[in-house]
Amino acid sequence: MKPAPFDYYAPESLADAIALLAKFDDEGVEAKILAGGQSLMPMLSLRVARPEVLVDLRKLAELHYIRDEGDTIAIGSMTSKRAAEESALIRERQPLFHDATMNIGHLPIRAHGTVGGSFAHADPAAEYPAAAIALDMQMKAVGPDGARVIGARDFFVTYLTTDLAATEVLTEVRMPVLAPGTGWSFREISRRKGDFALAGAAVLLSLAGGRISDSRVVVFAVNATAVRLPAAEQVLRGQAPGEALFREAGLAGAAEIEEPIADVHASADFRRHLVSVVVARGLAEAQSRARG
Amino acid sequence: MTNAIPTSFDALPTTQRRFIGREVDRIEDRSLVTGHAPFIDNFTLPDMLHCAILRSPHPHARIVGIDTSRAEALPGVAAVLTGEDMQRWCNPTATAPEGWGPYSLAVGKARFVGEPVAAVAATSRYIAEDACELIDVEYELLPPVADATTALDLATPLLFEENGSNLIVGRNFVWGDVEGVFAAADRVFNAKFRWNRVGANPTETFGCVCQWDLIEDRLTCHGSYQTPSFMGLGRAHVLRLPANRINIVSHPQGGGFGGKGGPRGTDIASLLSRKSGGRPVKYIEDRVEYLLAGGGQSWDRYYEAWLAVRADGTVTGLRVQLLDDQGAGAEGYGTISVAKPLAAFTGCYRIEAAEYDVKVVCTNRAPSYPYRGYGPPPHNLVLESMMDLAARELGVDPAEFRRRNYIRPEQFPYTIPSGNEYDSGNYEATLDKALELAGYAELRAQQQRARAEGRLVGIGIASTIEPGVFDWNAYATVGVPGVGVPEGISIGINLLGEITARVGFNLQGQGQYTVVAQLLADWFGVEMGAVRVVYTDTDHAPPHFGQGGSRLGVSISGAALGACQRITVKLRRAASVLLQAPFEQVELMDGVLRVKDMPQAQIPLAQVVGAMLARSDLLPEGMQPDASATSVWTAPGRTAPDEMGRCKSYLTAANACHVVLVEVDADTGKTEILKYVIADDCGTRLNPSNVEGMIQGGVAQGVGAALLEQYVYTDEAQPLVSTFMDYLVPTINEVPMTQKAALVTPSPFAPLGAKGCGEGAIHTTPAVLIAAINDALSPLGVQVRETPASPHRVWSLIRSARGDRASV
Repeated sequence: MKPAPFDYYAPESLADAIALLAKFDDEGVEAKILAGGQSLMPMLSLRVARPEVLVDLRKLAELHYIRDEGDTIAIGSMTSKRAAEESALIRERQPLFHDATMNIGHLPIRAHGTVGGSFAHADPAAEYPAAAIALDMQMKAVGPDGARVIGARDFFVTYLTTDLAATEVLTEVRMPVLAPGTGWSFREISRRKGDFALAGAAVLLSLAGGRISDSRVVVFAVNATAVRLPAAEQVLRGQAPGEALFREAGLAGAAEIEEPIADVHASADFRRHLVSVVVARGLAEAQSRARG
Repeated sequence: MTNAIPTSFDALPTTQRRFIGREVDRIEDRSLVTGHAPFIDNFTLPDMLHCAILRSPHPHARIVGIDTSRAEALPGVAAVLTGEDMQRWCNPTATAPEGWGPYSLAVGKARFVGEPVAAVAATSRYIAEDACELIDVEYELLPPVADATTALDLATPLLFEENGSNLIVGRNFVWGDVEGVFAAADRVFNAKFRWNRVGANPTETFGCVCQWDLIEDRLTCHGSYQTPSFMGLGRAHVLRLPANRINIVSHPQGGGFGGKGGPRGTDIASLLSRKSGGRPVKYIEDRVEYLLAGGGQSWDRYYEAWLAVRADGTVTGLRVQLLDDQGAGAEGYGTISVAKPLAAFTGCYRIEAAEYDVKVVCTNRAPSYPYRGYGPPPHNLVLESMMDLAARELGVDPAEFRRRNYIRPEQFPYTIPSGNEYDSGNYEATLDKALELAGYAELRAQQQRARAEGRLVGIGIASTIEPGVFDWNAYATVGVPGVGVPEGISIGINLLGEITARVGFNLQGQGQYTVVAQLLADWFGVEMGAVRVVYTDTDHAPPHFGQGGSRLGVSISGAALGACQRITVKLRRAASVLLQAPFEQVELMDGVLRVKDMPQAQIPLAQVVGAMLARSDLLPEGMQPDASATSVWTAPGRTAPDEMGRCKSYLTAANACHVVLVEVDADTGKTEILKYVIADDCGTRLNPSNVEGMIQGGVAQGVGAALLEQYVYTDEAQPLVSTFMDYLVPTINEVPMTQKAALVTPSPFAPLGAKGCGEGAIHTTPAVLIAAINDALSPLGVQVRETPASPHRVWSLIRSARGDRASV
């Protein structure tokens, strides 16, 4: 279980990294960016990923930060998940992202894994893509032609695939702080603590005059990417919150999932059912945290 | 001269027992937990090569041709090995029964996904793996035998064509008047069970460094070997070398549990060494290899059982039908796990007649290997589930139902229908202790309240036997000859009074070195720090087996006591000269040699040994200056089996009762353990914390088997599990810290009264967890009869119980 041969580069600056990626792209050499390595290294060792070149971003101190920009929190892509977990700013002002972080693997994984790595890897069962869609996060990518910002809806294309070009580096992820009074929940149903979810949900809920004024329901680990469930949100709109309503929303959301993933742990049917459960539970939790 | 090995602490030559039987710090832990112990992957020899193995991607395929030329041309490659070399140099591996063993690399055809087909030795593991990709194998696919249920169909292909069938063992054991008791029974209960494949997963997989000395024609194998001499004998047969030309050097191991697939890896690395001119070759099995094709797969079983019960709740008969899937042959001695339940077939109960109908078949799944417990855990699940089924149907509390049927304390030693003799026990006391610790009545009240709220809360109770101190005779029914399993020790005292004990097994985590040090320190009246326990390789060790079969703690204690007795005789002879007293009057007590009834006439032990080794002028001519002895122990009184497999096999019978409270989440099918209580009686506890560790570890593996672990195969015999993302071992988050109580009913037959306890709770935990889940599900009218009780499986049952309505 050793990787196939590859060349290794650890550029000293973002500009150098982009220049390297552009050069390999020109030469038709397949290069892969290495961040925290929590997904890529096992894939290399299993030889399911066989890039010719690894460009390791570990020396790019310029991508390590968590920044308070008023209504927005910006995280440098090479920031460790552990740093995100320990950030009081994130915990207090965007608790859904904090809870998403706490659901990622185990402490050693969070200590090594980077925030940007999870976005760029785009695993269907990963927590951050779901949080990104729930929060309408924005991803900043820098390439030879400069920087661009990509919305979450466009960023995650399909299984392990993002909108990033081969010559681009994801440098920053940006999220709005939680609007006052909004209830949130980030939950997973998994076989063991820390496992990839069988089904997970990221939920936001706003109340006005005892009724649901707005909601956002996103589920993950059931399709090639995390998916928003408009049918569930539709059920909730304008209704008085309650267990029966949440179950109904869960069922409506589950019904609109196309071809849920099936694996050794759960059939497609069971996954669809778990979506309804995790959504209903997430809504109940979000309601308990909402004010208005 | 022979002396009986003492069966209680009273016989030790000390008035102040300071170590044995008490909580003491373990002497092996410092090196193990710091990683300082020389684990095999840290071991390097000059000029060493690294091995990688090319494995079959097909469950069943003829090997039409192998072209190794591109691999051989890769710079850094020293040798490439294929089935051709096997045929030239080797025998197929020996099995029980005979004739079901493959070559260590596939010859002619591959029989499971992951079977070694070729191997490379190169200057690094990276290059070796690169070279494996350059080996071209042409396969002709054969239809696979995917499951035991079809293995015996006439149209099914054969794995070993020369055997004419896929049936490895077919036996029908009848013990007592089975027909009679079933005919006379007021009720007969019946159920089917499926125990899916699970197995050992030690922290460290198998590894070895093998060097074939081509000049002297001898082989040295360093490795994470659990049973060194047995490994050496097996290699001698396969590699066609005299066994005394193979030196097996066992290294400390990161766990074992029976499953390290050492034989094939050792053969392959050894032959690569031979083929590369005698350079040492290291093979480190990685986790993917281990999960696919190591020794980590066991107990793939279909059961049907019947229980005969009288109206008063007396269980009179047990019939068990077993279809056991060994995978691709019997190379891993997995067949033994089918025979071992004979040692405790009827569990804790007085059941007068029993029948065991066994079919052991081969399929194109990976070969099965031993796993902690070696077979009874699934059997115990069946037996305990049947007891619960009967109790539920008769409307009797499961604790009371068991109580009515227990073997009673005054009936020991007790011979069970399948022939083994239980040494001692007090099962009712164990049950009562567990119920008391659990607060059973309050648990039932809690359950009632939860049920009223619509929650699925259940209580499980299981009582089991752990056969201890294994003996080969138990396995005669699957073709293993022999009675007795010797374990030896060599003990010497130097002229400073320091003691060295040499044993033939290395560290694996259980703490037997500490037990030896505790025992010797108390016997000779020294500090534990004055005792060293040293591993010796098979070139030097006394006869030994090593860890396995819940026996090493007891066996090495027996051996150590024997050696202590012999050394004591020598010390007394020398002391009788030095003290000028008759030999019979001289005794060892609290570290001094003294004259009985004359306390002032005494001489310290170190001084006696010093005189033996450095003052020949003080001792008579002809007295050997030797304060050392070697002693080899084997369980006394074992017998050869009769035609129905009946024999005195395992020397001891430990007993445990577990009580647990679980809640099943009706929406997700997930089980949460709310309370877990254990009462355990394994006789005298030589080192109480060792015992507790064994129990807790067994709970962890039991939780895995009951709730999480399964080697999943497709209908085409393709494994779907090759990493720990798919094979779910429990973590600290899933394993409850159990409340434990110790009961002590000493064994009248075993050294110091200690019973084998190394397998511990794995005998009980799967049964009790499934019992608790079934209790939780009973209001719905469904029961779990297949392991693991995964969320998906349990949810499906709940859904079937509720019909199509309300699937949430």
